[in-house]
Formats: sequence, structure tokens, C-alpha cells
Amino acid sequence: MKIKVTQEKLSKALNNVSRIAIGKVTLPILNNVLIRVDNKKVSLITTNLDMAIIDFLPVSSSEDGVVTVPAKLLAEFVSNLPKGETIEISSNDTKVTISSGKYSSTINGTLADDFPELPEINEKTAVVYKIGVNEFKNSVGQIIIASSNDLTRPALTGVYFNTTDDNALAIAATDGYRLAEKKLIDKVESEVKAIVPSNSLQEVLRSINDEMEEVEVSFNEDLVRFRLGEVEIISKLIDASFPDYQKLIPKENNIKVVLNRDELVRVTKLAALFARSVGGSIVCETKAPDLFLVKSIANEFGENDSVIETKVETPGRINLNSRFLIDALNALEEKEIKFEFSDRIAPVVLKNKKNNNYTHIIMPLNS
Amino acid sequence: MYDVWKNVLAEIEQQISTANFSTWFQDTSLISTDNGEIKIGVKNSFYVKQLRNRYLDLIKTALQNNNVSVSTIDFEVQSNAKPKVRPREITPTNTTVKTRIKKVKEELKPQTSNTGLNEKYTLESFIVGSNNDVAVAAAQSIVDAPGTRYNPFFLYGGPGLGKTHLVQAIGNALISRNPNLKILYTPISNFYSDFVDAVRNGKGKEFNRKFQDLDCLIIDDIQFIVNKEKSQEEFFNIFNSLYQLNKQIIITSDRLPNQIKSVDERLTSRLAMAGAFDLQLPKFEDKCAILRAKAELMGAEIEPEAIEYIAENVNTNIRDLEGELSTILLMSEVRGLTPLELIENGSVSVNKSSKLRPVSSKQIVEKVAKYYNLPIKEMCGKSRVAHIKTARQVTMFLLSKELNLSTNKIAAEVGVKDHTTVMHGVKKIEKDLKLDFTLRDQIEEIKEKIYG
Repeated sequence: MKIKVTQEKLSKALNNVSRIAIGKVTLPILNNVLIRVDNKKVSLITTNLDMAIIDFLPVSSSEDGVVTVPAKLLAEFVSNLPKGETIEISSNDTKVTISSGKYSSTINGTLADDFPELPEINEKTAVVYKIGVNEFKNSVGQIIIASSNDLTRPALTGVYFNTTDDNALAIAATDGYRLAEKKLIDKVESEVKAIVPSNSLQEVLRSINDEMEEVEVSFNEDLVRFRLGEVEIISKLIDASFPDYQKLIPKENNIKVVLNRDELVRVTKLAALFARSVGGSIVCETKAPDLFLVKSIANEFGENDSVIETKVETPGRINLNSRFLIDALNALEEKEIKFEFSDRIAPVVLKNKKNNNYTHIIMPLNS
Repeated sequence: MYDVWKNVLAEIEQQISTANFSTWFQDTSLISTDNGEIKIGVKNSFYVKQLRNRYLDLIKTALQNNNVSVSTIDFEVQSNAKPKVRPREITPTNTTVKTRIKKVKEELKPQTSNTGLNEKYTLESFIVGSNNDVAVAAAQSIVDAPGTRYNPFFLYGGPGLGKTHLVQAIGNALISRNPNLKILYTPISNFYSDFVDAVRNGKGKEFNRKFQDLDCLIIDDIQFIVNKEKSQEEFFNIFNSLYQLNKQIIITSDRLPNQIKSVDERLTSRLAMAGAFDLQLPKFEDKCAILRAKAELMGAEIEPEAIEYIAENVNTNIRDLEGELSTILLMSEVRGLTPLELIENGSVSVNKSSKLRPVSSKQIVEKVAKYYNLPIKEMCGKSRVAHIKTARQVTMFLLSKELNLSTNKIAAEVGVKDHTTVMHGVKKIEKDLKLDFTLRDQIEEIKEKIYG
């Protein structure tokens, strides 16, 4: 096996794939990156058996062959080589030699025989969606914050891709206390219901760079593949059923206000300072005709009252976790947002004022 | 089927490296083998390909070596995140606080089997102290040799002191030693309501047979059998036949057998045949131990000073002790303060004691006199008439026990010559109390009047 490639390209690809090549003590070869050259096509592959990252590396010249090398070591070595140089990697049995100008080193690799074979998407049966990379990145980022890391409830540790009743593709996540939903594509032909692990999606987001334009997402029964530029990420799906979340989103709310997002973030942060001893609990209150109040009380430190002026029709109040509120506000995009609730036990619904495709709900705290 | 797979795995394990084995085979299972169509469950799709391409022959050979006919082998993704978690509806955020305690409670939820026993009660979780060590020792020897030395085992003590815990623990320990033992735990109230039903439906004989077959019968709160003559008779018969077969009988009550009113004497004399064991109020150190163990069980942290505070201020029974502890722990979670901080800033006040509120010596004298229908002057006089003398001694007893008055002061209150008379009087009542249940009732009633 032999490849010639520029330092920048190789370093970028190695940094991307080596992230998941860690920590499996049971099977040491999982710490390695598989370098395969097959008919001029070079691929770098790592897997942790929950997911795999494949980077197709454009190279200037190559010879077929396959070998595995400790991923972190190779990535760090290459990233410290001078930029702009051409790097040559060649293998002789399991000895892998990396040379670049005056630098040269030999790493003991392992035969590729033990490297796990990756599952493949069945192209015929796969359900495929294509989404603009920026739209995808923003949307997943808005949703993933609401997912849980409680492994005892696997369904909540992922992002739920599902087609809604009106044939839109939506993604949603919840940790049991808040829920976020976004319409990703308005009209789709084929249906899907799949929970993609949040960890895998984080890797997809990290793999995104400026040169990419489109993400192709393909679902099989128990597998999902993300294709972005030269990178391909394959992940298992979570085998569990996601809550029927549409029912959780209130359809009608009595109390509706429109607020300036920056202002609400600021007063929430102020209130949060005084809410530390009560687990971040703050009170949001509407007072007709034109006051929206955010309050918090900390017995030791004092209390905080902030007022935002806005049009109010119905008075009401609700207790919220300030951290969740700030998360939600950061996920919203527009300057003005809608803040709606009904009573003290129904969730708060947060939306952009104009664009209706993102919904974030937060359960209130008992007061 | 599972065992076959175990053998298969054992065989495969010898042929490949440990790393490969533990990675690829650890979480596999054999789903079905119908007609040679083998279905193997794996963790996720990453495992399918590897197993199929690298290990299929190995699996096939190993299966065949274990006499499983193989025509096809299929793999199926079975999430090992089992049991599958039922999706739960979104819930208010601050339930995290309560769920922790709720979780403990759920774990402690009664898990009754047809023995009527609740598995949460074990001898290990029963905290032994000077207040109950004798009873626990006897319980242990029953577990070692049921139906022999302590048969029937009669356990008595006030409410909330652990009678039910101890007898159920015996039952559970017996079952864990020999799962085939037939054990039945039933409160006496269930016994007689079942009995009445059985008789009404003409199934009296079957009812009787159900009990005759038992290896161990545990009856809780036998004192409630009073005035249930038919049930008493039935119970007496069952008791006798079990006893003759050397089957273990365990009975609890809040009082001694001979103090259970209007129960057939033949029965009461039998109940205490092998002695009666009592559970008493825990001492201070025992209370601390109980609180510590309980807090640990609830997974909560609590300062030693807070434990001592609760132990000092709860003087009724263990149930109240545990109740106060849960309250304080819950509050500490909700308020975000440690239990000790809560106590120090006065957010909680614990006061559970049999001395409900302070009373004066005069009140006690008055109430006793009123109870016995005697003029105070006469009661606190020199009369040697038996019932007047008793009333006077009861007064002395109560003044001494409830108010901790010195004997000299008591002497002055009840108008007797000197403290030795008082000492004698108090001792006399203490002694009589053990034998005379009427007197015990009377004193309880007077106390109720004093504090009520």
C-alpha cells in the first residue's frame, strides 16, 4: 500500500476519523484507523461498533493495499508535520512508514484481517433524504440540546427522525422535561421513523466543514448513513420506541406574548443568578395590559425582579427552569419570539415569531 | 435453549482470542432454532456483518457439536438495552427531586407472592438492638430449625416496633433456604374474613385443608380475633393440627396472650406455650442505628448530628422515626439544604413522644381521683381501703413516670408520710402491671385523659 497526499488533507481526514477510535479496551484494533487503497480509491475508516466514520481521501498517487495503524498516534504525528509538504505513507507487511521531506517514522501497524467489516446500507430498500448542509447543521443543533444522556431510557438518547401526518420530515428530541421539534423538509415521499443516537449525530456535525453543500441521509431498518462530501458516517439506530410527542405539544394556549429574544435571555440570566439555591427555578409572570415579569428569589442573597414591556391580554404565571429556558432561547433564531402557556402545569411553548417550523416546549416546575 | 447457546459460546471461546470473543459474542443470544433455521440475536447491525463473514462456520460447527441441526443461520438486531423502556410522557422538571425518593419507595413496593410475604422484609435489614435482641435470636433459631424449639413463636410489642418485619423476615428466610416450603403469612383479619367467605360458600373444609398443608403459618395481630368465636374455634383446630405435625407457627400481637380479652383459654394457654418474646421501644443508640440504616437504604446523606436530633425527639415508635426521617430528607432535597441546616434554622421541628404536652402534678392527681371516682382528699389521705390505696399508688406511679418527680415531692403531693412509701407504691404498680391487664388498661385510659 502506498499513498501520496498533502499534509493538510491527510491531517484533516485523520483528525476527523480518529475521534471515535478510542477507549475500546476489549478489542485493541478498534483504536486503529484502517487505510485502504482499492483501485486508486483511498479510504480511512474507524469504528467503535456503534458507528463508523469513513473518509475518502483524494490523493495524488497510490498503490493498492490495506493496513491498520493506531489512529491517534498517526493523527498527531501527521498534524505536527510542516504544512504544505507532501506526505508519503507506505506499508510493508505491518510496518507503516510515513515520510515527508526530512521527517520519517515507522509505526507498527496491524494486519487488517481483524478489523471489523462494516455494515452496508442496502441502497435498494433505503429511504433517502437530501438536505442542505447548513440547514441540517442548524436544525440538528437546535434539537440535540433537548436529548437526554440517561442510558436507562435509550429512546431519549437520540434524535427522532419521523415523517409527520402532513408528510413533512421532522426531527425531535426530549429528555422528559423539555422537547424540541423541527420540520426539516416540508414534503417528503417516503416515510421514516428512526431514532439516531445523539452521539453519532454529534460526530456528523463535527465532520461538517465549509466545503460541504449537501447531506444525504439514508435509512435502513437498523442503520443510518450520512454522506457529506468525502465523509461517510454509518451509525446504528436506537432500537426503542420514541414517545408519541405530537400529543405533548399543546395545541392552544391561553396566554400569548411576543418578546424580544435578547432581552428575555438577559433577564433570564439575571434571574438565574438568584435562582441557584432553588435549582434554577424562576417565575415568569404576565400582567395585563403590558408587563412581562421574570422573578427569582434566593433566601440568602436577595431577590430579582425584571420587567419587559410587551402586549399582554391574559394574566398568568409559570415557574420554569432557567437553564432550560436559556437553552431554548439560544436555539431560537429570530429577534422576536412567541412565549405561550396556559396554566401552571401545562408546558410553555416557545417559537420564532415568523417562522413556524421550530417548536420548543418546557415543562413547568411545581411551585 | 439458552443453555445450548452457553455451550456453543464456551466452545467458540476456546477457538478465538479473548478480545474477539468478548467483543463479538458477549451480547449474543440464541433466539430460535426451529427446523434448523437458526436465529441469533446481536447488539446492532455492526455485529451482523462481522459475525456472518468471519465467524459463521465457527458458529455452525459449534452448534452442530451441541446437537443442533443447522440449515440456515440468521442474525437479528436485538437492542441489549433491555428491558425495553416504555416511553414515558413528559413530566415536570422538578420531579427529579421527588423521583429519587419515589424510586426508593417503588423498590420497596410490596412484592407479594402467594405466600403473602413481602420480600422487602429480611432478617438482614432488621436492626438488632438491646430492645429486640432476644426476639431476633429466637427468630434466627427458627430459621435454622423450624418447628422445634420455639413453636409456637409468640411475638408481642406495641405498634410500629417491627413485629411484622420480623415475622415476615422469618418467612422469607425460610423460603430462601427451602423454596419448596409452604408458608402462609396472613393478618388475622384476613384469616377470619376468608373463613367467613369459605363457610358462606360451603367451602369450610377446603379452607381448613389449605391451612393443614402448610409447613409454616404466620398470623399477624392475633389480638383482633376477640369476639370472633367461630374463627377462634377454626383457628384453634388449625393450630392444634399444625402443632401436632411439628409445623412452625408464628403469631404476633400487641399484648401477651393472657391479656387478649375474651379469647378461649385453651387457645391463650397454647399461644404462649413456648414463651412469648417482646419487642420494646428502641434505646437512643438503637434509634440512631435504625436511622442510619434507613438513610443509607434511601441513598440519602444525613449528618450524624441530625440523626441524633431525630433520635432524641422521637420517642414513640420506629414507624414514626422513619416517617420523620423521610420528611426531613424530602424537605432537604426540595429546599436544597442539608438535614442539619434545616433543623438548625428551625424549618423542621420533630416532636413525637409519648409525653405529649407538659402537665402539672395537680392535673395528674385530679384526673386519677376523677377516674376512680374518689374525692382528692380521700385519695390523698391515709385510708387503707384496697381500691383507694391502689388509686393512690397509681397516682404515685404516674407522678414518678410522667413527671419524673422525686419521691419526696410525690410523698408531699399524695399526702403520705415519707418517700419509702412512694417507692413501695411505684414498685408495686410496676410489678402489678406485668400481670394485671386491667390495671394496664386503666393506666392507659388515665393517661389518655391526662393528655387528651
